[in-house]
Amino acid sequence: MTQSQRPLELILARNLMSALSTPAFLVDEGGLLVFYNEAAGVLLGKRFEELGTVGPQEWGAMFGPFDGAGEPIPYDELPLVVAVRNGRPAHASFSIRSTDGAAHEVEVSAFPILTAHGSQGAIAVCWPAASNGAGA
Amino acid sequence: MKVKLWGTRGSVPSPGPETIRYGGNTSCVGVTLSDGSLLALDAGTGIRNLGLSLPEEPTRLHILLTHLHLDHIQGLVFFAPAFRPQTEIVIWGPASPEASLRDRIARYISAPLSPVEVRELPCDVSFKHTPETEWEIGSARIRAASVAHRGPTLGYRIDDGDTSLAYIPDHEPALGADLEALEEDWISGFALARDASMLIHDGQYADAEYPDHVGWGHSSLSHALSFARRTGAKRTVLFHHDPMHSDERLDQLGTEARERWTAFGGDAGAIELGVEGGEYEPRAEPRSPARIV
Repeated sequence: MTQSQRPLELILARNLMSALSTPAFLVDEGGLLVFYNEAAGVLLGKRFEELGTVGPQEWGAMFGPFDGAGEPIPYDELPLVVAVRNGRPAHASFSIRSTDGAAHEVEVSAFPILTAHGSQGAIAVCWPAASNGAGA
Repeated sequence: MKVKLWGTRGSVPSPGPETIRYGGNTSCVGVTLSDGSLLALDAGTGIRNLGLSLPEEPTRLHILLTHLHLDHIQGLVFFAPAFRPQTEIVIWGPASPEASLRDRIARYISAPLSPVEVRELPCDVSFKHTPETEWEIGSARIRAASVAHRGPTLGYRIDDGDTSLAYIPDHEPALGADLEALEEDWISGFALARDASMLIHDGQYADAEYPDHVGWGHSSLSHALSFARRTGAKRTVLFHHDPMHSDERLDQLGTEARERWTAFGGDAGAIELGVEGGEYEPRAEPRSPARIV
């Protein structure tokens, strides 16, 4: 197997996410963001195809996330990172900043993609915070 | 490496006068490696004739199962070498969290579906889950990888010297995806088929049939052509023919495949529909392996 081939579980996860109207994010087994869907692109103000794969520092500088006091949330505490590292689901509420500078309060649930070969990554699905009204 | 198609049909055996040229037996491909080692890719009903072709002297062979749907294992209990004590058979297949490969196959080779049990087979048979990494059988290096189909399903790549065979008979890489737009590393099965001397690939549905079968785990003609073109396979044999497709219908699909392949800029001789009994000797160069029968 060449090194560049993605695990099938990640491929199928991306295909599913592509069909969802709920913002969704996908990281690989190393925690690297490898895809987000069109709905997430609308939320962020930038399509994945425009942004490409980015590391946590670059991501944090562009979009956050931030806590209620406006402080950046440490990378290790993000639901996606918890899910992929610990192999457990994780949930959090925070704000992200879109490319136009607007802040969006969201709730994020992340769950790991566990296979017979161990963790292959994680998926995070994102909703507007409950206080903002209906979900996506 | 020599390759022979013993069963090209998908889903269910389809014998009869309307399928006599392309064949009615289900998936099985025989491979003779350059050192003489024998492989059977899947054990559909085509493996019965493969078994009849083998001499009765002591034989060691490997059966590589892509998955355990009935059209890929039905021939196991009609495989004559399995009933000879001098035969050694190693059966490889996908792992499952549910049960071992042996126990899952034993659901078929047991009462009431079968007159014999696995433990009653006179041959020396062993069952192995395919490893995550490449392994060797005889003169070949074998790779298995999960591919998009229903349930745990593998595709295989066999590299023997400078030639390679990719075998992905049940595959729906376009499920929820645009094969023409996706990056290569996001295409199911891509690494198995990349630049293969010969690709045997699912081509079950005509394009017009696919919308009624989305998610069933198989490819339309367009998807198979896109996959073959993207991977750069030197020669592609479309396989796992729909049981509803008569010889006449398959002739039409073959003509369409060649026309569209040449429209891509490919050689019309580098794509065809698999015919039961067809034999090949894949070569690294020229771009098309010589068809010897």
